[in-house]
Amino acid sequence: MKKTTILDLVSRKLAPFMLLFGLYLLSYGHMSPGGGFQGGVVIASGVILLFVAQGVGTTASLFPFRTLSLVEAAAFLLLLAAGLAGLAAGAGFLGNPMAGVDVRAVPRVSMILVYNVLIGLKVGAGISFVCMYLFREGR
Amino acid sequence: MVEVLLALMVVNSILALQIRDMLAAVLLLGAFSLLSCLVFFLMNAPDVALTEAAVGTGVGTVVLIWIVYKTERRDEA
Repeated sequence: MKKTTILDLVSRKLAPFMLLFGLYLLSYGHMSPGGGFQGGVVIASGVILLFVAQGVGTTASLFPFRTLSLVEAAAFLLLLAAGLAGLAAGAGFLGNPMAGVDVRAVPRVSMILVYNVLIGLKVGAGISFVCMYLFREGR
Repeated sequence: MVEVLLALMVVNSILALQIRDMLAAVLLLGAFSLLSCLVFFLMNAPDVALTEAAVGTGVGTVVLIWIVYKTERRDEA
C-alpha cells in the first residue's frame, strides 16, 4: 500500500499514547471504568495502528513475533497460577488469597490488579498476534 | 436521546444490509458500533462502552476492511 506523510506522522505520534492509555486502563481498572480486557484491546489497537501504518516488518522489530507469543502463553500460565493460589489459600479458584491474612503493606485489592494486568497482557498480545499473522505480506 | 440513537442504529443497519459497496457496508457497521457505544455510555455502562469502542469500532472494523481489501469490493449477488 502507498504510504503518505500524514499517515506516517499521525501513527507515530498517536500510537504511544494509545499504548499508554491501554496501560492506564489496565492498572486503574479496579477503581475507574476499564479493566483487563478493555486495556488489552486498547493496547492491541495501538499495535494494530502501527502494523497498518508502518508495515508489519518495521513493527515486528519493536514487537517481535516470538515475544508476543511468549507473553501470551506466560500470561495465561501466570493467570492460572494466580487462580490456583486462591485455591491453595482456601478461598476457592480465583479467590482472594489475601482475604484471610493481614498484610499491612499490600492492600487486599492488589489481587484484582494482578488479574487485570495478566488478562490485559494476554488479550493485548493475543489480538496483536492474530492481526500480525493476518497482515503479514507475501503469503 | 437514547431513542434517537436507537432509531439511527436501525437506519444504519438497514443501509449496511442494502448497500452494494462492501467497504461502505463495513464503515456503516463501524458507525453502528459507535452509536451503540454512545447508547451504552448514556445508560451508565462505561465499561461496556469502552469494550464496544475498542472491539467494535477499532479492531473489528480494521479486520473487516482488510478482508474487503483482500477479496472483492463489489457485491454481485
